[in-house]
Amino acid sequence: MNDLGFYLVQALTGLSSASALFLVASGLSIIFGVTRVVNFAHGSFYMLGAYIAYTFVERLGGALGFWAAVLLAGVAVGAIGVVVELLILRRVYQAPELFQLVATFGVILVIQDLALLTWGAEDLFGPAAPGLEGTVNILGTRLPEYDLALIALSLVVLGALTLLFHRTRWGTLVRAATEDREMVGALGVNQSWLFTGTFFLGSMLAGLGGAAQLPKGGADLLMDFNILAAVFVVVVVGGMGSIPGAFLAAVLISELGAFGILVIPQSTLVLMFVVMAVVLIFRPWGLLGRPEAPGQHGQVGPPEPPLRPPGPRLRAAGLLLLAVLLALPAFADDFTLVLAVEIAIMALFAASLHFAMGPGGMVSFGHAAFFGGGAYAAALLVKYAGSPMEVALLFAPAMAGVLALLFGWFCVRLTGVYLAMLTLAFAQVGWSIVFQWGEVTGGDDGILGIWPSEWASNRLAFYYLSMLASAGGILALQYVLHSPFGYAMRACRDSVVRSASIGIDVRRQQWFAFAFSGALAGLAGGLFVFSKGSVFPDEMSIPRSFDALIMVLLGGVKTVLGPLAGAVTFTWLQDEIGRLEYWRFVLGALIIAIVVAFPQGIAGFLRARLGPWFGVREMEA
Amino acid sequence: MRLEVRGLHSYYGRAHILADVSLEATAGEVVALLGRNGAGKSTTLKSIIGLVRPAGGTVEVDGTPISGEPPHRICRRGLGYVPEERRVFASLTVGGNLEVGRQPPRPGLTPWTPARLFELFPNLAGMGGRAAGQMSGGEQQMLTIARTLMGNPALVLLDEPSEGLAPVIVDQMVQVIRSLKREGLAIVLSEQNVNFAMKVADRAYIIEKGRIRHECTIDALMADEAMRRTYLTV
Repeated sequence: MNDLGFYLVQALTGLSSASALFLVASGLSIIFGVTRVVNFAHGSFYMLGAYIAYTFVERLGGALGFWAAVLLAGVAVGAIGVVVELLILRRVYQAPELFQLVATFGVILVIQDLALLTWGAEDLFGPAAPGLEGTVNILGTRLPEYDLALIALSLVVLGALTLLFHRTRWGTLVRAATEDREMVGALGVNQSWLFTGTFFLGSMLAGLGGAAQLPKGGADLLMDFNILAAVFVVVVVGGMGSIPGAFLAAVLISELGAFGILVIPQSTLVLMFVVMAVVLIFRPWGLLGRPEAPGQHGQVGPPEPPLRPPGPRLRAAGLLLLAVLLALPAFADDFTLVLAVEIAIMALFAASLHFAMGPGGMVSFGHAAFFGGGAYAAALLVKYAGSPMEVALLFAPAMAGVLALLFGWFCVRLTGVYLAMLTLAFAQVGWSIVFQWGEVTGGDDGILGIWPSEWASNRLAFYYLSMLASAGGILALQYVLHSPFGYAMRACRDSVVRSASIGIDVRRQQWFAFAFSGALAGLAGGLFVFSKGSVFPDEMSIPRSFDALIMVLLGGVKTVLGPLAGAVTFTWLQDEIGRLEYWRFVLGALIIAIVVAFPQGIAGFLRARLGPWFGVREMEA
Repeated sequence: MRLEVRGLHSYYGRAHILADVSLEATAGEVVALLGRNGAGKSTTLKSIIGLVRPAGGTVEVDGTPISGEPPHRICRRGLGYVPEERRVFASLTVGGNLEVGRQPPRPGLTPWTPARLFELFPNLAGMGGRAAGQMSGGEQQMLTIARTLMGNPALVLLDEPSEGLAPVIVDQMVQVIRSLKREGLAIVLSEQNVNFAMKVADRAYIIEKGRIRHECTIDALMADEAMRRTYLTV
């Protein structure tokens, strides 16, 4: 009997931890469904919910006060979501797809520092919910009463959302807009308010999720990224835009965690991703989702402009840039050279991501998996096999390529935002492996003392080495882009059906393109290790993936020069601002400002101004 | 309701789709915009409702300029738009689709209710709870018109209403358009099917390569076989 009680309690614990996941994931799903914006800041809204509830609980007190505080925190976060939508996102809905991501990333940075400023760096311990401090005895095993409250809360929210979407006019409009928002507009519905409304609802749910888990988990500054990967998994497994799907997936993932920890305590995360992989192989659109056909939403942008080989003036400008880089050590100090090396490495990283997401049409939210994968491959080879730098630098792209082949096999079965979220989830698996497998990877302490070979150990030699390798990598990407392989890849992006009908194996084409992109990200990672002399799990983390995404989008995803412009701007900005105390706030605010000022990206903006001179024809009116 | 389109120009990217398109329609009148595939019929209707933003020219409703406004504003001024591809909300029920189209009654017109629409479209009656995605093409075509009527428009833009329909459904469509005309609505319909247009329209504009080539009454068009052969027959 005792055993039964134990398993029952374990199951209920799983259900209660599903509640936060469900609330946050359903909010993300609702917002994406209508606005097509993947709100990276959703984890931040969750974190804010916890912090704001903490403050309200302190002020109000009592059982009634506690629940009032939770609700108020939800509403407050909903209002913050509305502010973000009105002030920032509304200005960039017309921008190229995904550009809004950059803005939401800026919001993450701003919120991180505002939370730090307001609530301090210390983790806050959540107050117990008055009246629910005790435990209940279930067949001899104890379960906190608050866990039951959380289960009740998620059921209430599920019921309320179902009623809202199926019994009210607003809900009907939201469901219609999720299918075809342009048509909803042509039928007289003001989309702006629909967008703002869904942002309120979605953000409120995230805030509510954060507030409700306060007694269990407290509030800390890492909550935002910590929940993001799990939320993406829930959304992908459940099916984008499906509330019951989000619930089902949240329960599935949480139960898996609750029971998986009994079997293999170390690798619950890996287990979660195995389940996700299995679900996606059999149901690529998630358990309860529907396939997302391009054009279904009446908002396919103008066709991608064809890529042309660079004209003579652009080539001349490129050669001039190379000449300047060659001559740079003659008149630059050491700091500038170090910065230049970092910019070059990041430019290669960004260019590899651009290859996949621009011409390849496969957006990766988790490209750091390959950057970090290459970095760790090189570092581990040096540490355990005592290999020289030259071999490690070849090993890095090779292993990253293998990793990309492995992840890519799953990813290319999906398209669009599903693919993107899956890459993020995979990257998070990689991150948790290097983070948790301390005996081999050094865990949080990283791997230190990975220095270049003797001949490349002085600053000048390493400068030339990294310039050569980065420029070589970028040119290789360019070369492939204009090779038959590149043409076939772009054909697959533009029309799967037509490509398949002229004999291109679309999946294999995309798979290899993904792997090639991953391999070059790995080369960047390998260079990075030797430039720093060390590697940490950070190189595989979500923020590192976002760095690359920001560089590409900030530069302009439709132009080949975009990632370079983005890498220069972003790396330089980070370097300039990184010394400030609240650098995240400043950087975030700057990113938001750039997004609002240049909705075409930096390179897109430059191309519109200078393009004609360089012989670049403007394709879009 | 009086719609006046003057000198409309529209582009898709760099492609010049409409060049100097002008047309008019008034209450109780059915106007046909006739032309072959790719002549610019759909773009004309989309430019009027605001789904394509015209690069030049004016669209006026009862003397008020509306071009440049977002589609939902133009719709609320009394213009209804029925897209060629139907674009029903597949996961919503018939009732849900009608609800999305619902707008306040318009003075001077009898407001549409689901019950009244089911009289006009007997095929849809009793299907209120069916998911739109599971209906036949003809039923979806009826639903998309019914959905637009729920907005109580004074003028309806119908993009190729007879396209891809079985002959018996096409006959029903003729009846529907005639009864909407009797209600006092203005109707602008785009068509390739001249026989269909001749059954319902009062006047016709002939469009080719984005330009209006000819304007005449439907009787004149019926009499002028040379004209039909030049611009319309395939």
